[in-house]
Amino acid sequence: MSTAETGFGLGLRPEHYEEIAASPGRVDWFEALSENYMVPGGGPLHWLDRIRRDYPMALHGVSLSIGSIDPLDRRYLDELKALADRVQPMWVSDHLCFTGVRGINMHDLLPLPYTEEALGHVAERVRAVQDHLGRRLVLENVSSYVTYAASELTEWEFIAELARRADCDILLDVNNVHVSAFNHEFDARTFLRAMPRERVRQFHLAGHTHKGSHIIDTHDHPIVADVWTLYEEAVRLFPGVPTMIERDADIPPYADLVAELDIARRLAGSTRRAAAE
Amino acid sequence: MTAQVRGNAGSLGDLQRAFQDYLLTEGDAFQAAVRDSRKADRATLLGVYRDGYALRLIEALTTDYPGLMAMAGPADFDHLARAYIARHPSRHPSIRWYGKDLADFIAGTPPYSGSPAAAEMARFEWALGEAFDAPDVAPITAEVLMALAPEAWETLCFTSLPSLRRLRLAFEVPQAWQRRAEVEPGNLEVERAAEPFTWAIWRPELISNFRSLDADEAAMLDALVEGRPFPELCEAVTPFTGEDEAPARAAGLLRAMVEGGMIAGFAH
Repeated sequence: MSTAETGFGLGLRPEHYEEIAASPGRVDWFEALSENYMVPGGGPLHWLDRIRRDYPMALHGVSLSIGSIDPLDRRYLDELKALADRVQPMWVSDHLCFTGVRGINMHDLLPLPYTEEALGHVAERVRAVQDHLGRRLVLENVSSYVTYAASELTEWEFIAELARRADCDILLDVNNVHVSAFNHEFDARTFLRAMPRERVRQFHLAGHTHKGSHIIDTHDHPIVADVWTLYEEAVRLFPGVPTMIERDADIPPYADLVAELDIARRLAGSTRRAAAE
Repeated sequence: MTAQVRGNAGSLGDLQRAFQDYLLTEGDAFQAAVRDSRKADRATLLGVYRDGYALRLIEALTTDYPGLMAMAGPADFDHLARAYIARHPSRHPSIRWYGKDLADFIAGTPPYSGSPAAAEMARFEWALGEAFDAPDVAPITAEVLMALAPEAWETLCFTSLPSLRRLRLAFEVPQAWQRRAEVEPGNLEVERAAEPFTWAIWRPELISNFRSLDADEAAMLDALVEGRPFPELCEAVTPFTGEDEAPARAAGLLRAMVEGGMIAGFAH
């Protein structure tokens, strides 16, 4: 039996509000995009509250900019904390990246150089955010398209060490591992095996766009076979971690995403049974 | 590839500033800070970020301004959006607020300023968006006012819904906006109105409303929003109705505002 703490979730999207409210129980939990609900009132907050009555939720942000050299945005953190007080989420996550400097938000998840300087900087900010929110932060590995000449560590070394130093958790985006592994020609399994087991709090799954020489993380397609295979490995390494599918463009009917989530349930179930034999 | 120290491009801050500058401008100096992959050169890979930056913001503007898209068509809308993006980097955590200054940009920037109807459409659509997620306050009902003692009306003041916006429009923008999905993008015609009208936009529950206001109603609503008491609301309509008719007209207009869900509260 699934619970939210072990179960299978979907991203909460406006296209599906009414159907979700009308058909409770088809997924175990929802992940809401924090910034979409950091508004004074109106329909989005109405549906958030309505659906929260039936489902556990996680909050997932895109603008924390944890790696930026800009000062932390205290107003943003206050609004995030107020939203967390309202939603009482299972956890609050964002991305290991920076979104801009000089007060500008590029609305993109820009990769950090994997250097000791960046590691110390991010670890300090994670601790400050955790103090502000009064809860442990969950940080997601991003898809990236470039590697920096300045990087001294691998991405997986950086993440594992950050989790240890900052006492934060990890949202392991399996698609992003696949995308970055293809783009930067590393072994995705090496990445997975380097993640500290006790820190992996959630899996993301998503589709992407293959451009031949590189893959772009577009969240506009179904999950591909290679990512499902990597997901099975992730489930073997980190049993019982909740899984969620992200879809942000060309959003299909709710039933299609529920069916895709059933594939994740099936694969996780058979992987778990195989491990038990 | 592990733990190998490479040529350092400078501090974390230098790198972040240079990356952002690369995305916002045409220069290519930052390319030295990243590596080619075996499958693609660094300009191609950085292009994913540079293209993505503009495309994300254009998408946000497209979502917020469907009427403007219907007027302009994809090519002209793209041209306008890119000009706006070049002038207005986002400074808000949520992309939802990115298009806030588009109407002013259109009104103040040639060649877009040559289409005042486009600026009005942008102003109207942004007001709709503001009403969409304004604070939730339940409107009062007419029954509550009917129960008040007559002397209460001498000092009775009102507050409007937080979502209420008033716009004075010289073009038939709201009428055209309602046809936005019925025409091929680029073919939405917006006629100049016989005379400028004030429009009210507000959200009594989850759905936003808008309607035009008669001249005396607009004057009265201005006074109401300023917190003036009911006798002064009557004075606001007097120039249009004469003194004798003003109280009845003001009471009728007030009733329509209350029944339309525009009024949030009162005090006396």
